[in-house]
Amino acid sequence: MSGRDILLQIGQVMTVLLLAPLIQGIVVQFEERVQRARGPGILQPYRDLWKLFHKQIVVPQTASWLFWSAPVVAFTGMLTVPILIPVLTNFPLPLSDMGDILGGGLILTLASFMIVLAGLDTASAYGGIGSSRAVMVAILAEPTLILVFVGITLLAKAMLPFVVNHLLVASWAAYWSPAHLFLVAAFFILLLVETDRMPIHSSTHIEVYMIEEGRILEYSGPLLALLKWASAMKQFILYTIFCNVLLLPWGLSIAGTALGALGAAIGLIVKFTLVASVVVFVETAQSRLRFYRYQEPLAASFLLAVLAIIGTQLG
Amino acid sequence: MLRETLIGSLLLALSMAPLAAALLCLLAPRPRFCEAVNLAAAAIALASALPLPFLVGGAAMLFWGGYVIIDRLAAWVVLCSAIVYFLASLYAVGYMRLLHEDPRLFRFYALFAGFGLTTLIAPLMNSIAIYWIAIELTTLVSTFLVAFERAAESMEAAWKYIMVVSAGISLALLGTVLIYWDGSFVLGPSYQMTWAVMGAAAARMNPVLTILAFLLVLVGYGTKVGLAPMHSWLPDAYSESPTPVSAMLSGALENTAMLGIVRFLGIARAADTGRTPQQVLVALGALSLLVGALFIVRQRGIKRLMAYSSVEHMGVVALGFGFGGSLGVAGALYHMLNHSLNKSLMFFGAGTMMRAYGSKEIPEITGVGRSFPIAGGLWLAGAVGITGAPPFGLFLSEFTVMRAGLQTPFAWAVYVMAILLVVIFVGFMNHFRAMYYDRGAAGPAPAPGISAWCVAPMWLSLVPLLILGLWWPSGIWSYLTSIAPSLSPALP
Amino acid sequence: MLSQPLDPLAASLFSLLAIVSLLLSFVMLASRWLKNYLYAFAAQSWAVALLSAAVGYYGHHPLLYLIAVLTLLFRGLVLPYLIWRIIRRLEIDREIHEILQPASGLVIGALLVMFALAVAYRVAGELHLAQGVAVLALTVMLAMALIGFLMLAVRHEAISQVLGLLVVENGIFLGSQIVVPGMPLLIELVVLFDLLVIVACFGVLVGYLATHAGTTSALKLKRLVG
Repeated sequence: MSGRDILLQIGQVMTVLLLAPLIQGIVVQFEERVQRARGPGILQPYRDLWKLFHKQIVVPQTASWLFWSAPVVAFTGMLTVPILIPVLTNFPLPLSDMGDILGGGLILTLASFMIVLAGLDTASAYGGIGSSRAVMVAILAEPTLILVFVGITLLAKAMLPFVVNHLLVASWAAYWSPAHLFLVAAFFILLLVETDRMPIHSSTHIEVYMIEEGRILEYSGPLLALLKWASAMKQFILYTIFCNVLLLPWGLSIAGTALGALGAAIGLIVKFTLVASVVVFVETAQSRLRFYRYQEPLAASFLLAVLAIIGTQLG
Repeated sequence: MLRETLIGSLLLALSMAPLAAALLCLLAPRPRFCEAVNLAAAAIALASALPLPFLVGGAAMLFWGGYVIIDRLAAWVVLCSAIVYFLASLYAVGYMRLLHEDPRLFRFYALFAGFGLTTLIAPLMNSIAIYWIAIELTTLVSTFLVAFERAAESMEAAWKYIMVVSAGISLALLGTVLIYWDGSFVLGPSYQMTWAVMGAAAARMNPVLTILAFLLVLVGYGTKVGLAPMHSWLPDAYSESPTPVSAMLSGALENTAMLGIVRFLGIARAADTGRTPQQVLVALGALSLLVGALFIVRQRGIKRLMAYSSVEHMGVVALGFGFGGSLGVAGALYHMLNHSLNKSLMFFGAGTMMRAYGSKEIPEITGVGRSFPIAGGLWLAGAVGITGAPPFGLFLSEFTVMRAGLQTPFAWAVYVMAILLVVIFVGFMNHFRAMYYDRGAAGPAPAPGISAWCVAPMWLSLVPLLILGLWWPSGIWSYLTSIAPSLSPALP
Repeated sequence: MLSQPLDPLAASLFSLLAIVSLLLSFVMLASRWLKNYLYAFAAQSWAVALLSAAVGYYGHHPLLYLIAVLTLLFRGLVLPYLIWRIIRRLEIDREIHEILQPASGLVIGALLVMFALAVAYRVAGELHLAQGVAVLALTVMLAMALIGFLMLAVRHEAISQVLGLLVVENGIFLGSQIVVPGMPLLIELVVLFDLLVIVACFGVLVGYLATHAGTTSALKLKRLVG
């Protein structure tokens, strides 16, 4: 429990906190550029957050205690998860065994759940639509996510993400095994779904397409800032799990020095930019689908997770 | 030595005649010529097949570098096929002229000769995989025969036929691969997969894998035989194809596919798999009887009626092989011959009446006895026979199968069979009563006159049937019982 | 061949190719467009041909190279070309009325794979085979056969049914390459050509269906009942 470890732990949380809007900005900028618009700039989310923190809160009359607590719970949850996963270092930090992969998934889901309730809380039509759609997607996505986590666990025969990271770095055979490749593919589809990048919604604020945005339509001011930040952090965390645990497990600090941590942070940005470009490409290359076709990528993801689990059993 | 050469040349004549007929039909597309060539080939085939059971001894003989096998079982099945091929060719001469399709007739006869060829040589194949290929070829050739009349129903029937049967045959391929794998643990990675080799190695093969392979092969070739529940293609294909083709499908092809199942049963028995293979065979046989009975009772189409009767009779054959022992096997094999004769007779009659009355529906065929005394009488006699009544041959074989069943643990199947046979008798004869004796609706008067080409095969099938029903020569009995021990010895 | 332990690289190569073939059959199950089926089938045939060559290399069966090349040519190029011609002639693009939604099809396919795995474990246990590759080969063989049958059952377009049958054959071929690579060459060759003849017959029949029955969709072929 050395001071260095505590600093690193705090540093991980701060990295997620501070860099999340940057990644969000990168993704949005890429998307706009691909669609041949100028784009708002990479740092726009920071400006948005600054602006929102200086605005007034308007609370609907029909709101309850849930209205205030949901953004706080979501934000806090997103601050907790970086403690559990390998963000900067590839060795477990003091509080990392507070929860394993499934524990991290639980906290992420808790945050989404609170926001869904908040969307219903204000009794507005758009909140209702957003929440119901989000839950429809979540019904299929959450079990698949659990299956993917089970697959990861079976792959490494351990529940901690750090062990998976070590296994994939150490052994080429494990990296290229069918189980791992299928898990990458399954998790990629889930990444798209959870960060609301399925080719079903439109990223512009048109209510017909909204899934995520609909739930937070009634929020304003600092609460809205917290919610936006929380969703950016969720994206960051999922990208972190995808890259550092599954796809690109290299580039993490091994010794835990300040230089190593800084290098790991820069490495994160590079890795995420790569993944973001693929995500944007997949999303924009596909024309918009009917909403009920959301089950198809999720069924494919389920299938890939099942095949991966079978692959781990046959090794 | 002389016997070997004789058998070898008979086999050669048996296979070359239809092949030559097919080629000649393609080269010289004149209808009368094709009819004659096909008939001649069928006659040669029958003449070659008739002496075979007498010449083949107890041990199997191999020809053509071990690719062709002739043993008692194969000789019997080839004989049944050759008889049906000859009778159907005889009938086809008269029947196909009624279709007024003379320009396309050469294709029919070429395909028909090809069909005859494949059903004759399939039982002779020694390698299990080549047998599979021969069965696959029969499917391909007969599909085009089923689709010969270019009507929408024929196309539907042909499509269903090729789809369902190809799916089933691919299961049989899976079973073949698995049994090869099974054998490779005993015989090494590369060996000739012949019936004898597998039978010899069977005792050391793994029982679970053998059972799996047998079940797959049973379902696969069972689709071709028409055992329920894989029979769905059968009524459509039989009713929509030209009558000679229906007779061949029912009389020749089903027996040929059954041969495969029976040989695999022999391998499975030798592999010490317990009662499971025979249990499943008995279950499928009983199910086929049930399905046949149910669909016979309420049936509107005359040829579909015959088709379901085929399902039922193949169920009886399956029961016979499932019961096992010398009685069961002998009864089943005798049943194959009697069924071939009787079913051909029934199809010939049905086809003739169909053409005469211009309809396939039973309610529209009335007053047969008055309009066609001779052909009608033959057909009615055939109907009495096909439902298993004495003095025709099917009665003897069914009785033998039932006797065999009573001595096994599957006695329940015998009771089911007896009840269902009564049901079938009543249902079937009800339809015939309606066609012959109903004074009610007077349908359109039938076209008079039936060609002698159509009536002669009916006589030629009824007379042996009557003889075989009254007299079961001890020679045939000992022949058939000698096949039994290699296939399914009596259950403990 | 599976009686002696396999080189780990060989084992992972076989695993990869077998699972890729299985995945491609899922792609076929999930697609609506006939062209997509066809491309997936062609890719699957190529994967199976590569597997054949790999087995030939690691198992020291030089004749399998010939089989691999022929498989590539016939199953991978000629068959898809024949089917493509049929599709083009028929002017049908996709399954219009689906009996089974693609998503449900994928889930049922996953369940079938689990069933095949259970059967393969049982059989491999009986045969005392320690290796994963045997279980994998059996699983993929049975799973592809079951998925092919699923396609045959729930697709109503004639071409999709033909492709389902070809998937079954591909699966059996794949399994036979791994578990019985020593099967006599003659048999492999004849089965291959047999497949060609089958597809040619299908082509002719589908043409007849379109011309005389007016439709190639099984949903409309309902005249014969009882």
